[in-house]
Amino acid sequence: MDYAFDFYSVLSNTDVLIDGLLVTLELTVAANVVGLVLGFGVALLTTSSIFPVRVLSMLFVEFFRCTPAIVQIIWFFYCVPILFDVYIDSITMGIVALGLNLTAFNAEAYRASIQSVAREQMDASVALGFGPVQRTLYIILPNALRLSLPVLVTNGIGTFQQSALVALVAVQDLMYAGKSLATQTYRPIETFTAVALIYFVISFVVAQCVEFAARRYEPTSR
Amino acid sequence: MTFDFAIVLRFKEALLLGLWTTLQLTVICVVLGSLLGFLVGMARSANSPFVRVPARAYVEVFRGTPVIVQLFWFFFCLPLVIGTEIPNIVAGIIALTLYMGAITSETFRASLKSISREQYDACTALGLPHATQVVHVVLPQALLRAAPTLLSNCVSLFKESALLSAVGMADLMFIGQNISNNTARPVEVLTVVALIYFAIAFPLTRVVTRFESRVLAKLSA
Amino acid sequence: MTQSSPAPLLQSDDRLGTQRGAPAAGTAAPLVQVRNLHKGYGPNIRVLKGLSIDMQPGERVVVIGPSGGGKSTLLRVLMGLEQIDEGSIRFAGKPYIEASPAGRRTTIDTVVRRQIGMVFQHYTLFPHLNILNNLILAPCKVHGENKATATARARALLARFGLEAKAEAYPNHLSGGQKQRVAIARALMLDPKLMLFDEVTSALDPELVAEVEQVILQLAQQDMPMVIVTHDMWFAKNIASRVIFCAGGVVVEDGPPEQVLGSPREERTREFIERVFHIR
Ligand SMILES: Nc1ncnc2c1ncn2[C@@H]1O[C@H](COP(=O)(O)OP(=O)(O)O)[C@@H](O)[C@H]1O
Ligand SMILES: [Mg+2]
Repeated sequence: MDYAFDFYSVLSNTDVLIDGLLVTLELTVAANVVGLVLGFGVALLTTSSIFPVRVLSMLFVEFFRCTPAIVQIIWFFYCVPILFDVYIDSITMGIVALGLNLTAFNAEAYRASIQSVAREQMDASVALGFGPVQRTLYIILPNALRLSLPVLVTNGIGTFQQSALVALVAVQDLMYAGKSLATQTYRPIETFTAVALIYFVISFVVAQCVEFAARRYEPTSR
Repeated sequence: MTFDFAIVLRFKEALLLGLWTTLQLTVICVVLGSLLGFLVGMARSANSPFVRVPARAYVEVFRGTPVIVQLFWFFFCLPLVIGTEIPNIVAGIIALTLYMGAITSETFRASLKSISREQYDACTALGLPHATQVVHVVLPQALLRAAPTLLSNCVSLFKESALLSAVGMADLMFIGQNISNNTARPVEVLTVVALIYFAIAFPLTRVVTRFESRVLAKLSA
Repeated sequence: MTQSSPAPLLQSDDRLGTQRGAPAAGTAAPLVQVRNLHKGYGPNIRVLKGLSIDMQPGERVVVIGPSGGGKSTLLRVLMGLEQIDEGSIRFAGKPYIEASPAGRRTTIDTVVRRQIGMVFQHYTLFPHLNILNNLILAPCKVHGENKATATARARALLARFGLEAKAEAYPNHLSGGQKQRVAIARALMLDPKLMLFDEVTSALDPELVAEVEQVILQLAQQDMPMVIVTHDMWFAKNIASRVIFCAGGVVVEDGPPEQVLGSPREERTREFIERVFHIR
């Protein structure tokens, strides 16, 4: 291999990468807020006793889970402006697309844990005189949140990685910054390796911290 | 604003060709990636740290970075690293195979771990030789346990394969985007593309769910 | 589960009663000879603290004792599933298990081990194999028996246990009692010289207990030597030719069932029996 490495070109442009990273983090955090909140709502809808509500919400979930994320993102960027005749700035659009995708995956995680919240807990809450809203807020939500937390975190990290796709529709995130830097400096190896490393370190560190915390606070008794 | 979904029918052949490419690439990467994943899954439970640590590093890197970044790396960097041009399709297959290898190795590892200590005790109590224990007891159960998750890994790869369009491979997504740009009909074309992916992935996920509960029932004995 | 005892079992009780204590001590070499057995898990948990037991051929030893007292550990050691810290075990006059003091390694003679069979509390059938294949896997692979003869033997054994209709079924289609009977049949396929049963009925619904105990009583009638851990007083009384009360990692009391279960000498034994078996 006679390739001469030159990491200087990357190091001298760290500010470009950092700007990109900030956009990536903004997308990730905002999409996670959307996904955590809407996901729970959609999960409740999928367990609704009203048939059309249940079917439609399930269709929403399955549609996002069963199509490629890149198709969803490109669909949003090209079709939403035409369909709704609106202009939305690209970062907001990215947040909506990524957020709805995450909503579907989180809804599935919440649904699984809602269903595993023991039937007795529900009966007990009825016996204690909780209304449906109180029951949802004080019994179902905390239980579902606790049980689905590991999956929610995994999904959240997944969205951090998926956010790289918005670079393909010219949102200036970390991936986009990397792509343009690689072209400008003719240094693809150094640039893409650095970009990969940044994604990796953040994903890995967050995943390890969460795993550590989970092991630490895991209740030891059944 | 009116929509004319009939326009998509004019490009039926091109889209089917793209779908065919997508399916071929998926199958190739699924087969190669599962084999790799099986080996890496075994390596991750090896005793020697010289085998275990590199295997773990490989899995963490490929699970810890966006697939699109991996893909770009293999497209733009691999030729420079090895000093020769490589065909696009080869770079694409390498990238997705390595990704598939990483996720399936986790599946295999988890299924190996799921075999209870009691099963090993039973083998010892029956005096089964080590080879028999592995071939007739451990591997069949591990593979059975892994099968539903492997199928769901295949669905994931089928979806991820749409990324190949970003590096110019003429798969379903790429052709769909081309048609959409040329006809200026993104709503019709992209929606149909999405529906095609859905029509294939959704039934498979249903199969996974059914299959999984049957496997679990069988193995719970 | 001790209160309802089907009639045929009571008959076998009478038959076994006449044989009790039959093996004349001193005439034959002990079948099992445990000497100064020490076993712990990790540096801090000491479970067996210097156990020595001799078991004569034809004896049926029931081990009772409080939970966590090391009964399962003793059986697992006898089966060659565990490393030991100190001591030795001989089987049929041959060295079987030995703790080497220097290397902290246990040597287990696997040829001797093949003469011992074990049935566990949780039916450990192979879930991916049907009943017949569960039975013939070991004979074919360990002894190289040909498949046809092994299958014939397996079918005969299943018929004896009332399971001939289940030969082609998979374990998940069997009841707990049926699974446990298959597990016993599977161990018997290897013609063991000693059978170990570790609480084989404790995971079962009460109405399924009798069918499993009946199969073990059948074996007892054929003078199969066995070590049984059970909490079922009625079963213990019926099957035992000798009862060992084991607590805190040592043998507290050891003798014929009438004595250990009926009028124990040791205070701890009496307390345990009263508490667990609700006598008086
Ligand atoms: N694999 C193990 N690791 C650590 N401790 C164990 C293990 N198996 C058993 N023990 C401990 O050893 C002691 C004896 O257990 P066991 O032999 O199962 O008793 P018994 O069968 O009489 O209830 C218990 O305190 C138990 O917690
Ligand atoms: Mg026990």
